[in-house]
Amino acid sequence: MAGPGGGSSDVQWCFSQVKGAMDDDVAEADIISTVEFNHTGELLATGDKGGRVVIFQQEPESKNQPQCKGEYNVYSTFQSHEPEFDYLKSLEIEEKINKIRWLPQKNAAQFLLSTNDKTIKLWKISERDKRPEGYNLKEEDGRYRDPNSVTTLRVPVLRPMDLMVEASPRRVFANAHTYHINSISVNSDHETYLSADDLRINLWHLEITDRSFNIVDIKPANMEELTEVITAAEFHPDQCNTFVYSSSKGTIRLCDMRASALCDQHAKMFEEPEDPNNRSFFSEIISSISDVKFSHSGRYMMTRDYLSVKIWDLNMETRPVETYQVHEYLRSKLCSLYENDCIFDKFECCWNGNDSVVMTGSYNNFFRMFDRDYRQDVTFEASRENSKPRSVLKPRKISTGGKRKKDEISVDSLDFNKKILHTAWHPLDNIIAVATTNNLYIFQDKLN
Amino acid sequence: MGAFHHSQPSLECLQPASPASPSPPPSWKFGVSCLWSMLGRGVKRKWSSLEVPEAEQLPNTTAMEDKRPGAALEESEEDRGDRRSRTNAGHVEQRQLVLSLCLEKLQQYQAGVELSLRRSVLLINTLRQIQEEMRSDGTDVRLGGVSPDAHLLRDDFRDDESVTCPGCTEGDTENLSPPPSPEPTDTVPTDLQKPPPNAIGHTFSDAGSAMGYLSDLALDDIFEDIDTSMYETSELPSAWAAGSLWPVSVSFWPDDDVKLCSSVGSLQSCLLDLNELDHIMEILVKS
Repeated sequence: MAGPGGGSSDVQWCFSQVKGAMDDDVAEADIISTVEFNHTGELLATGDKGGRVVIFQQEPESKNQPQCKGEYNVYSTFQSHEPEFDYLKSLEIEEKINKIRWLPQKNAAQFLLSTNDKTIKLWKISERDKRPEGYNLKEEDGRYRDPNSVTTLRVPVLRPMDLMVEASPRRVFANAHTYHINSISVNSDHETYLSADDLRINLWHLEITDRSFNIVDIKPANMEELTEVITAAEFHPDQCNTFVYSSSKGTIRLCDMRASALCDQHAKMFEEPEDPNNRSFFSEIISSISDVKFSHSGRYMMTRDYLSVKIWDLNMETRPVETYQVHEYLRSKLCSLYENDCIFDKFECCWNGNDSVVMTGSYNNFFRMFDRDYRQDVTFEASRENSKPRSVLKPRKISTGGKRKKDEISVDSLDFNKKILHTAWHPLDNIIAVATTNNLYIFQDKLN
Repeated sequence: MGAFHHSQPSLECLQPASPASPSPPPSWKFGVSCLWSMLGRGVKRKWSSLEVPEAEQLPNTTAMEDKRPGAALEESEEDRGDRRSRTNAGHVEQRQLVLSLCLEKLQQYQAGVELSLRRSVLLINTLRQIQEEMRSDGTDVRLGGVSPDAHLLRDDFRDDESVTCPGCTEGDTENLSPPPSPEPTDTVPTDLQKPPPNAIGHTFSDAGSAMGYLSDLALDDIFEDIDTSMYETSELPSAWAAGSLWPVSVSFWPDDDVKLCSSVGSLQSCLLDLNELDHIMEILVKS
């Protein structure tokens, strides 16, 4: 069965792996909160509500099965953030990892930024596969030798050992955000990065932790006049002076850091006028943008609001060039979704490697792909039922009308507790990582 | 353990098993609509939102059988062209539900956990939108009727020990007549005959009486010696509850309540004890 992807419509998505507990009882700490491939796709990082980061590494392609890309296995696990208590406000600071962003690799070690609501940390992940042996003053087990028994001297040599992966925090960027951090983004200069909370965006240098520059501040003098918050921010992939940030009112502002130190004046503002036919009490809530991502080319950006995905050409501010409906059948259910708080869910979105396909999650563990070239879209489900190795994913259909065809799922039977908020696409290949509540699914193109 | 399967709560199994549904707490009764609800994670389902599209499964609440606005509402949302004209009652009823949900969500407060600013801002903007619409509709959103409520807004409220608004004590909150029935007050002459408390006014009367009570507490004095200047409060409830939320309601009060506005201003400099506010709300709505 054909599906969109990779510029041709011949991609067949197959189940590859699933990570995480099989219990129906989900431990709160295991809830996955972010998923991110590194720049080569060899490493896949997840963050969870318990403040842990788990990194998977792709096995090298095996000669036996050249068609299958390697499996992802656990490479490193570490506790990135701990819960903290703000004594001044009597509030708990959650350890949940909101975002992980990889730094481009410069040497043998890997670096990533991980953040919770208040603090960003730079982690170094390094491998150790050799250890020195033959010390003069120490035994192999570490006990010190009696100096009197040392009669000869030798030079210690490095001998191979079992691979050990160590993660160590190299920088802690703290105390710069009063509000909750929702985004971090590494600049294309590889020296700076931005962090955004509800009202402010700060610019950091990766080497400097004791200060940052505030580049956007939308906090009004009188908090009662607040009507809009920042929901996401990202640096342009090539232009190190350009970044965008999205708001809860459905607008995206593009800023140029060369214009002034404080980029409150946007260079461009992207906003689509509201369709008066669709106006409801929930119009503003569903227009709130939950994610913004530049295309790899840097020419487009994609935004995700509650019901749709929009592709914007950076040269046109008046309206998106493409709009894809993720789950339009929910439009008539908005009141119920408001009642059970689902309307506040923040879905992310992602591009494939050559910007021809975009992907985002939905409810009932469904996720959607939209092929921009072939104007096709498909819905898949991430579930243990479809989890036979290399089984091809079957497209799902939701029946909206009265008559429900066989194999279709009616809107009324969708499980709104099963939401896919986080998805990631391998930067080069057709491999995707899809996070359900506490499981990580990896799907691959059959022809890989 | 079998294969992992999702138990999909179908619509039917959400309905109460027994036909005799317990009557919902008074404050939510007016919010009853025919929208079906789905179980959300960790959110308590309200009786008010239970309803089934299928005719044979209407819950046994007598008032609902008359109107069936729910089905109409479902269609109306989809049938955009006719929405305004055909289902005005349904629209207003949904507005009522959204309004009550809005206030309920704004009251939600988990001790020790900071509220999401984005969520709070979205809720308040929705609330403002509804209030604007109600105002432009000409709906009198002031208190249900009752000049007794007006005294809550005066500064000399302290004489009245009870914080229960008279609207509640009237007890006639079972009424499900369409909300836009402005009560006769001294400033808005209407030819309205319905004595029961205005459902919308009921909500605002809660707010008003809560505010009146709070202004009475002279919180300024209590917190005089606490220096809060050294940190910004990112905790929305303090800012909002002390500030804009109440003045937004206040704008509907009669003009002679300028005094109240100034006392609201003094509230802005106080840290509101939200637990206390919750307690007050509980008393007011007798829930």
